[in-house]
Amino acid sequence: MKLVGIVGTNAKKSYNRELLEFIQRHFSDQAELEILELTDVPLFNENDDQSQSPVIQAFNEKITAADGVIIATPEHNHSVPSALKSIIEWLSFKLHPLDGKPVMIVGASYSVQGSSRAQLHLRQILDAPGVNASVMPGSEFLLGRAQTAFDDQGNLKESGTVAFLESCFAKFMKFTDLVNAMNVPDAVSYQPGTYAVTAVGHNGKLPMSVTLSKDRIEDIQIDTSTETKGIAEVAFKRIPKAIIDGQTLAVDAVSGASMTSHGVIDGVAEAVKAAGANPDDLKKRQAQMTKAVQNITDITTDVVVVGAGGAGLTAAAKVLQQGRNVLVVEKFPAVGGNTVRAGGPMNAADPEWQHQFEAIPGEKHTLTEITQIDEATIAPEYLADFRVLKTQINAYLKENKDQRGYLFDSTLLHRIQTYLGGKRTDLQGHQIYGQYDLVKVLTDHALESVKWLENIGVDFDKSQVTMPVGAIWRRGHKPMGDQGFAFIKALQKFVTDQGGRILTETPVQSLTTTAGKVDGLIAQGPDHTKVIVHAKAVILASGGFAANTKMLQQYNTYWTAIDDDIKTTNSPAMTGDGIRLGTSVGADLVGMGFSQMMPVSDPDTGELFSGLQVPPQNFVMVNQAGKRFVNEYGSRDELTQAAIDNGSLFYLIADDEIKKTAYNTTQAKLDAQVAAGTLYRADTLSDLAKQLQMDPAVLTKTIENYNSYVDAGEDPEFHKNAFDLKVQVAPFYATPRKPATHHTMGGLKIDTGAHVLNADGQVIDGLYAAGEVAGGIHAGNRLGGNSLADIFTFGRIAATNALQDELTVTPLG
Amino acid sequence: MKLVGIVGTNAKMSTNRQLLQYMQQHFADQVTIEIAEITDLPAFNEPEDRVAPAAVQALSDQIKAADGVIFATPEYDHSIPAALKSAIEWLSYTTRPLINKPVMIVGASNGALGTSRAQAHLRQILEAPELKALVMPNVEYLLGHSLQAFDDQGNLTDHDKVAELADDVTAFLAFVTLTEKITPENKFMEKNQQFSWSQIADGRD
Ligand SMILES: Cc1cc2nc3c(=O)[nH]c(=O)nc-3n(C[C@H](O)[C@H](O)[C@H](O)COP(=O)(O)OP(=O)(O)OC[C@H]3O[C@@H](n4cnc5c(N)ncnc54)[C@H](O)[C@@H]3O)c2cc1C
Ligand SMILES: Cc1cc2nc3c(=O)[nH]c(=O)nc-3n(C[C@H](O)[C@H](O)[C@H](O)COP(=O)(O)O)c2cc1C
Ligand SMILES: Cc1cc2nc3c(=O)[nH]c(=O)nc-3n(C[C@H](O)[C@H](O)[C@H](O)COP(=O)(O)O)c2cc1C
Repeated sequence: MKLVGIVGTNAKKSYNRELLEFIQRHFSDQAELEILELTDVPLFNENDDQSQSPVIQAFNEKITAADGVIIATPEHNHSVPSALKSIIEWLSFKLHPLDGKPVMIVGASYSVQGSSRAQLHLRQILDAPGVNASVMPGSEFLLGRAQTAFDDQGNLKESGTVAFLESCFAKFMKFTDLVNAMNVPDAVSYQPGTYAVTAVGHNGKLPMSVTLSKDRIEDIQIDTSTETKGIAEVAFKRIPKAIIDGQTLAVDAVSGASMTSHGVIDGVAEAVKAAGANPDDLKKRQAQMTKAVQNITDITTDVVVVGAGGAGLTAAAKVLQQGRNVLVVEKFPAVGGNTVRAGGPMNAADPEWQHQFEAIPGEKHTLTEITQIDEATIAPEYLADFRVLKTQINAYLKENKDQRGYLFDSTLLHRIQTYLGGKRTDLQGHQIYGQYDLVKVLTDHALESVKWLENIGVDFDKSQVTMPVGAIWRRGHKPMGDQGFAFIKALQKFVTDQGGRILTETPVQSLTTTAGKVDGLIAQGPDHTKVIVHAKAVILASGGFAANTKMLQQYNTYWTAIDDDIKTTNSPAMTGDGIRLGTSVGADLVGMGFSQMMPVSDPDTGELFSGLQVPPQNFVMVNQAGKRFVNEYGSRDELTQAAIDNGSLFYLIADDEIKKTAYNTTQAKLDAQVAAGTLYRADTLSDLAKQLQMDPAVLTKTIENYNSYVDAGEDPEFHKNAFDLKVQVAPFYATPRKPATHHTMGGLKIDTGAHVLNADGQVIDGLYAAGEVAGGIHAGNRLGGNSLADIFTFGRIAATNALQDELTVTPLG
Repeated sequence: MKLVGIVGTNAKMSTNRQLLQYMQQHFADQVTIEIAEITDLPAFNEPEDRVAPAAVQALSDQIKAADGVIFATPEYDHSIPAALKSAIEWLSYTTRPLINKPVMIVGASNGALGTSRAQAHLRQILEAPELKALVMPNVEYLLGHSLQAFDDQGNLTDHDKVAELADDVTAFLAFVTLTEKITPENKFMEKNQQFSWSQIADGRD
């Protein structure tokens, strides 16, 4: 029999601990008792959920795996200590490992009555519905006058006391068997057949058919077409398998695809119900517990990459292209990180290609404005480039004076726009802008990255040049197929085809060093395995920390406030692990106070692609009063601040023509969102205004004005830089939006060779960083489309240097 | 007269805080109520030096300076939240400002039962020798379905609950005045200030 004992106090000296240790020794032939301490358990706070932290998870897993639990409680102020109350609250909040678990209460205290009052309270607490433990009745073991009860060896002195404890323990053994037998769920029986059910997934309906025999779930078929490519597959593969293998509905959701996971589970539950069985019985059925033995996997490779997002897979591909071995270690079940979420367009100036496209209204104005910037405001290192750019622009403007002309671009325009776009001043008056040498490398090599990706197998849609939100210029190369997933699909295929190894569900926990050189890492693999990797170089490509609100708040120097409940557009994996790993070996950080909000996010989920998300030239943003409030073509932080100033919530207004320019949606999705009340649609602007509780006259007037600005090619109110369509063809749409956390510009300090630097500006041997985990490039504000350019460029550079440095140190052997 | 109202939780959104804020405003012409939070107190860990951390000392001073205390407690797992228990342990273990202090207990919870079990526990806890607060008998103010109980201005909407609260507060103010008369005796106070559980075990008490 396996038991867990909980010492009910966090005090250094405890007679209750001594009592449990005595029980452990005295009954070792009957049961294996593992003693758990409360020392590291944080005070329960419902706003700071730590259910997934290692401390709480240790309690959760050990209690779940145990046959029974013994709690030894002191008495503090006639009740249980707050530390004990705290762990019980954690274990009744999101997790419920004590549900149905046999529990014996014992207690030692200084006074004669022992801990009688505390034990009584504890019984009542353990009986609360969120806890629902099965506490053994009677047999109240109270050890009074505890400080005289033990001898020097920690054994109970009085034989009478020991005899009573023995009788209590014997009873608990029987009680445990009894309760656990009671907990075995009844046999379930189904009305055999194939049941068609419709569950709700992430993007809407999830039609499924579930085949049940008399006593088994035999088969689960799902129509997966509506769910997000690159995110949902793992859930489709794993959840049905886990349900069928374990014949249980108590399966864990797949991180990163929990809505799809729950959709599948709910769908099977519905089928089970239709077949006359109770799904709750199946939810109580524990899946076969895998044995919690620590397996260690030891791997030696040339280069190990942390994170299988865009930067990581690019680095891996590049290592393989040079004929060396690579291992990619990825925290989540699916590869792709934030890169699969990206809208797709990647910035790279390719003037030859861009010249095929006509300029659109407003672009010349933007260029003219650049030539009018006061040179005194340009940082000295950018000045020479700025002057050349001015000549380029003036020549272009002259050439196209009397005609619409083509779309202008140059590497220098990309560079200067990255610089200007990133130049920001924080709340403390510190100015920041992109480090010149890094920005130069980015803009000089971005086009080469596009070509490299084509080589790897990414097809780009050459027929259009796009501009993602906040990009300032149309130089986006859009891959064919499913947005960001198109990159990942091609890279993943390349890496695995060329013999690269990718370990998923293996979060890296620490780096290893020998004599100051980083030479490997330690990660936690699935099913309690520990993975130790030895390598000649480690490339950190673990993304940013926009999904870590606490960390954002801790470093923030830019926003007046970041709400605790702010949503994010990011994958939940983006918790800044790489920053922690880097600083643990002395890495310097740069620009950490600057984070980017995505102004146009879903107010409920933080997502980008709900509703009608269209190119910014077709954005019409109105506040809750129905008035425009900002230049819709502005940078992300201008849009965000304007939104915050207008109460955060605002609407994107579109008509039927604008709808056709939307990324990433279908009429079926839109209809579902209208039905769900997350998107508004009406045949007239007045009706739309009424749905939004706006004054119809105000909204109608706003749109009338806007349409007249499109005709005139000029917006006297907010100076929107570029327009395309008017809002005039019914039906009209309003998409509610709010800012959400989106990107972290700050990160590990690197040089142009992607080496990670320490505080003295020196290279940390063996350590490289690429992608969002690194800082210094985008500074105060990242331009839309620049991140993809960054990750594919610096991912390649990191790999090249990791191998080159290695070759100069040790000859190829 | 001045009272301290202690919000019995570290949660950001609390209808118990709302209840105290409502009492503060609604009874402003009868009594001054200061609202005290426990959010920033550290978790109690029985330090050997028995020194109150600054935040605990501040709460303790606030209690000492008041004529009485109102505890507004949620109910977590049929008892008071660990955060409130931790605050009380600090007070009992260090400065003991609650001795002979008149106390009224109120509680708001989202369920139907109000917080009856948590309030019963709190009463027993406050009667422990190193706390020895004077908890007003016969009053148990339970506000069930607390999420629906207040309007946008933070006023209690149920007239019966408003009247009941007014009666209870009036009774409590009388109780505070009464106890001031009957407890000038400091002997009991000193004895409890020095009370120690290890002493009991040594058979000295
Ligand atoms: C919704 C959305 C839309 C976007 N659209 C665009 C766009 O259109 N254009 C553009 O340029 N940029 C866009 N971006 C930004 C861009 O997608 C990201 O900045 C970029 O993909 C980051 O790439 P990366 O390789 O550095 O990190 P990621 O792709 O995020 O990959 C990091 C990987 O590391 C893993 N990881 C983290 N910690 C660990 C650990 N401890 N151990 C092992 N693995 C770990 C993660 O699970 C993840 O798979 C968008 C971002 C979002 C969220
Ligand atoms: C803050 C505090 C309050 C206490 N209240 C009580 C009590 O109400 N009843 C009691 O019998 N002992 C009380 N004690 C003494 C405990 O009984 C004693 O510390 C504990 O039960 C002994 O068990 P331990 O050695 O495992 O901590 C209290 C101790 C502390 C620190
Ligand atoms: C861990 C935990 C346990 C809870 N246990 C109970 C309970 O046993 N009885 C109850 O009525 N409410 C319980 N609740 C709900 C809280 O009582 C409810 O949120 C609170 O009483 C309302 O007061 P508040 O608005 O100040 O939080 C629990 C909440 C949490 C987080």
